[in-house]
Amino acid sequence: MIKSRSHKIGDWVIAAFCLLCVLACLLPVLNILARSLSSADALVKGEVLLWPVGLNFDAYMTVLGDSKYTWSLLWTAILTVIVTLWSMFMTVMCAYPLIYDNLKGKKIILAIILFTMYFSAGTIPTYLLLKELHLLNNPLVLIIPNSISVFYVIIMRSFLFGIPDSLRESAELDGAGPLRVLVSVYLPLSMPVLATLALFYAVGRWNGFSDALMFMSDRTYFPIQLLLYNILNSITSVEVATQEGFSSPGLSETIKSATVMFATVPILLVYPWLQRYFISGVTIGAVKG
Amino acid sequence: MGFRKSMSILTVIIAFALVIAGCTSDKPAPSSSPAPADSTTPAASNNSEGSGDARLEALGLDSDLKFKETRKITVEIYDRGNDGGTPPEDNFYTQYIKDGMLRDHNVEVTFVPVPRWTETEVINNYLAANQAPDVSLTYSYPTIQTYANMGGVLDLAPLLEEYKDLLPDMWEYLTDTNIYWDQDPNTGTLWALEAKLNILNRINTFVREDWLKQLNIPAPTTLQEFEDMLVAFKDNASTLLGADADKMIPFSTSFDVGWRADHLTGSFVPNDITDKDVFINGFDDRRFLFPNYKEGIRVLNKWYNEGLIWKDFPLYPAGDTTEDNLMKLGYVGAFMHNWDYPYRNGEDSIHASLQRLVGPDAAYVAIESFPNDAGVYKKFLSGPVDRKIFFPATNKEPLASLLYVNWISKLENRVFLQFGEEGVTHEKLEDGSLKTIAATGEKIMNSPANIDYTITSNGLDLGDPELTVKSIANGYAGVDSRLIEVAHKITTNQGRIGQNVNVGEIKAEDGQGQALKEKRDTILNKAVVAPVDKFDEVYDSGMDDYLKSGGQAIIDERKTAWEAIFGDKTMLD
Amino acid sequence: MSTTKMSKSLVYMKRYWILYAMLALPMAFFIIFRYIPMGYIQIAFKNYSIIQSPWQMEWAANHGFEYFIKAFSNRDFLYALRNTLLLNFLDLLIGFPAPIMLAIILNELAFKRFKKFTQTVVYMPHFLSWVIISGMALQLFAPTTGLVNILLNNMGFESIPFLNDPKYWVATYIFLGIWQSCGWNTIIYLAAIAGINPELYEASAVDGASRLRKIWHITLPGLRPTIIVLLILSLGQILGSEFDRPYALSNKLVSEVSNVISIFVYNNGIRGLQFSLSTAVGLFQSVVCVIFLFAANALAKKSGDRGIW
Repeated sequence: MIKSRSHKIGDWVIAAFCLLCVLACLLPVLNILARSLSSADALVKGEVLLWPVGLNFDAYMTVLGDSKYTWSLLWTAILTVIVTLWSMFMTVMCAYPLIYDNLKGKKIILAIILFTMYFSAGTIPTYLLLKELHLLNNPLVLIIPNSISVFYVIIMRSFLFGIPDSLRESAELDGAGPLRVLVSVYLPLSMPVLATLALFYAVGRWNGFSDALMFMSDRTYFPIQLLLYNILNSITSVEVATQEGFSSPGLSETIKSATVMFATVPILLVYPWLQRYFISGVTIGAVKG
Repeated sequence: MGFRKSMSILTVIIAFALVIAGCTSDKPAPSSSPAPADSTTPAASNNSEGSGDARLEALGLDSDLKFKETRKITVEIYDRGNDGGTPPEDNFYTQYIKDGMLRDHNVEVTFVPVPRWTETEVINNYLAANQAPDVSLTYSYPTIQTYANMGGVLDLAPLLEEYKDLLPDMWEYLTDTNIYWDQDPNTGTLWALEAKLNILNRINTFVREDWLKQLNIPAPTTLQEFEDMLVAFKDNASTLLGADADKMIPFSTSFDVGWRADHLTGSFVPNDITDKDVFINGFDDRRFLFPNYKEGIRVLNKWYNEGLIWKDFPLYPAGDTTEDNLMKLGYVGAFMHNWDYPYRNGEDSIHASLQRLVGPDAAYVAIESFPNDAGVYKKFLSGPVDRKIFFPATNKEPLASLLYVNWISKLENRVFLQFGEEGVTHEKLEDGSLKTIAATGEKIMNSPANIDYTITSNGLDLGDPELTVKSIANGYAGVDSRLIEVAHKITTNQGRIGQNVNVGEIKAEDGQGQALKEKRDTILNKAVVAPVDKFDEVYDSGMDDYLKSGGQAIIDERKTAWEAIFGDKTMLD
Repeated sequence: MSTTKMSKSLVYMKRYWILYAMLALPMAFFIIFRYIPMGYIQIAFKNYSIIQSPWQMEWAANHGFEYFIKAFSNRDFLYALRNTLLLNFLDLLIGFPAPIMLAIILNELAFKRFKKFTQTVVYMPHFLSWVIISGMALQLFAPTTGLVNILLNNMGFESIPFLNDPKYWVATYIFLGIWQSCGWNTIIYLAAIAGINPELYEASAVDGASRLRKIWHITLPGLRPTIIVLLILSLGQILGSEFDRPYALSNKLVSEVSNVISIFVYNNGIRGLQFSLSTAVGLFQSVVCVIFLFAANALAKKSGDRGIW
């Protein structure tokens, strides 16, 4: 394809703009990375911009050196994979039937689902329910109570709507039931949205800890962000320090920054692998007569 | 299969769900009268008939105060999740406590860990699920009052009356003062016991000793001298800071103006303020409602507009280290803060950083510079109270729980928990004082001086006040002990210890704490940074809003309550 | 005739059966984990007691509307309401189109490797907690020590009160919100663009369409369903109130604009242990949001798009 001149100029303008965006997003993160690797004194003096000053790995050694944390990292990774698979399964099971316009009771089911997005009662009733179900302190409590996000169901559903009905009909003419239609027609064409939602669920689970905070007291199953949250608070909580007249010595600034790294880096590793699903070129060609 | 059928299926499902919701949410509510079975045992507390043994029998105890059958209780323990810590419910110290309680009273103790940072929410959950620990604690009395109003807390008054003679150590340590601190004079109910705050040190005013020397100024002793000193810092910035002259900050404060200017505002309060006025205006913990408070803030406003105060102070939230860094780098001339603030945190302390980054002479020293109208350097201190211990209404073993509180108050147990083993968590110095060693491994203390376990005690207490002071000073490694001693002495010098005023519940205070606190901070911040000619307008309109939002109602109710109990008296005995 | 009808309805039933079976698990989930706890919402109308179940608690005064009245007669709540609407509206106005435009621009980026790199980098701010972002914001925007203001001062300009003046604060608030979420939100639009048939682009190239025409006639229409759905959902959050961003970015000098509903609930409801009050406010928010949701959905349908239902 031969590009016109204005097209080429456009390319460069776009590239320049994107470069600005990259800098705006990257520099702050580099700053935090640098801070997590710098010495406390350098941070006090405000010397750290994009490169570590007084390079030291104390913050990371604190976290990685203790088996408690390395286990938690492993556990959180396993948990994230389980949650992603389970939630994606549930989301697809929920969204797919709802694209059948003539499904009886569709509107009511939709209403029931949507309603939950707006009305919820808070921690205490959830706690009581989980207690009844004997889910407290059970690792399942980190998987099941948040299995489905209605928001994502809606998104998936609208995506599936974008796939032409003709494909479904031609598959049905071949005698396929809804399940086969799902597997052979819709899923292969939904890779972008599946990858997207999988990413969203994964990130949500990797970084989330408020459910573990309330519902899990078995330390073996603490997600990594909860452990980091605890460290951070035990060092920086001002209210507590004033009440008790004490506070502990600080790796505070460096640990604060290191916790950000723990949140970001894993996703950085996963995203490029998922990116291939976002490439267009999905063949929507095979429409039968 | 049709529309109607689906409809009815769905209706059934929904109806079913609602019914289940009703069923599962129903739980047997604990009996609304908080008095448990034990306190109504026929053994009369007056014990007129027979020997004490018969009474002990009826309570299930033998003559050594050991239960015949093992009783079980649960005790709340904070879980700080700190790095390198041991599980708070199962470690060297819990073993000591469990062994001791089993040996001395045949009571099996189980610790229930509660995250320190989300303590209220988690206790809410536990209370709602009827699984709150038998011995629970919190720093916030209004929380307990709220739970009590809902019927969720045990009334301790009848229990204490009946079992007093079985709890000598608790009484000896806490004394009537702390035990009955929160008793409601109108209803006689007592919802919580107050732990003892051993060290009343609160706030200090700090100035740079080396700067005073450099500029040949004596330490200020009056407001005017203090202000002149700040001006001198500003004018001599290039001498003091050389190339960094533009970074000079004569006086620093934070958004919590009330705390950070405490000595200054305290000095504007009339010396002869009555106990009544202290109480009526005492809802706000920064004394915001005290007479003449405004004038103290006016001084700050003046200083701010003259460039004597750190310009950016309102922007940084609690826990932000920017201000600390400025102090560490040596730019700040004076400030008010917690009594030992510059000396805390060992190598990471402001003091150590000054020594490292500025020079061996650089140091903050505590001074007294704000006399009130009678020349007294009055310090408003808190009462000798700390955490509040309460028993949820689900507590089935109140006697065993009280014996626990008693046991944990015994001197030997307290000292062991606070100091641990010699050579491991502390060393004994020649003068008899103790010095803490930061241990690692299984004997590590998860909280400073194991405060989480010594629930009736906050602050080192060796039994001997002098040794205690020395032991405290030992805790600041690398800091010239002279500085600590001065700070320790000044912070409570001419102090007015918080008095207990018991007039019962003030309903107007219900739920107001946080909201009014935020308003107060907003008013103070805005007033300090306002232009001088707008100060009155900003302060007055802010105060007006504060009073209208519930402040006035609290003042009025407090006044009425005081007069109902104390009549015309304006001073407590 | 009847056999065809029977076999048709048999096929029909067979299809329906599987779909309902698929829905069984998700519906069970919603009913158990979302609807059963909902019984607690009634405490908005009752006097909360921590030891009673909601069915046992006594009704609040004024036919149960006591706490709603309490909220609305509180001046701070009204300010919070105003602030929430204002900030959410601005977020929507500026923050909704931003990721769409960025996604389109990213899609147009010609240099493949750079494109991948940019896509990966641009969502990084999403992972920064608001506590961290506020710390950085202070480093950049503080009046005397902020890097941006130091730069301005050196160039001879006055400091801009990004964070300490209410009007400027609103702008900073919105801008930081966009910076944090824009990149992340492009993901969904990029996924949507990936689903657009590339043959359409090729065909229009043959017709000699310029870049802008392609965007206008292919990309945007291709994105339309996604945009509409997300817009409806966003409008349905118009009274929603996030907590982290305003809490982290606010300070005492700008409280008249930074106090939003979530902060009001935090101060009065949660810290004040007034459960009924927080639930009542939450219920009010939910009802308003649902109204907006319906309205937005209806509007969408009127303009020919497929709404949410």
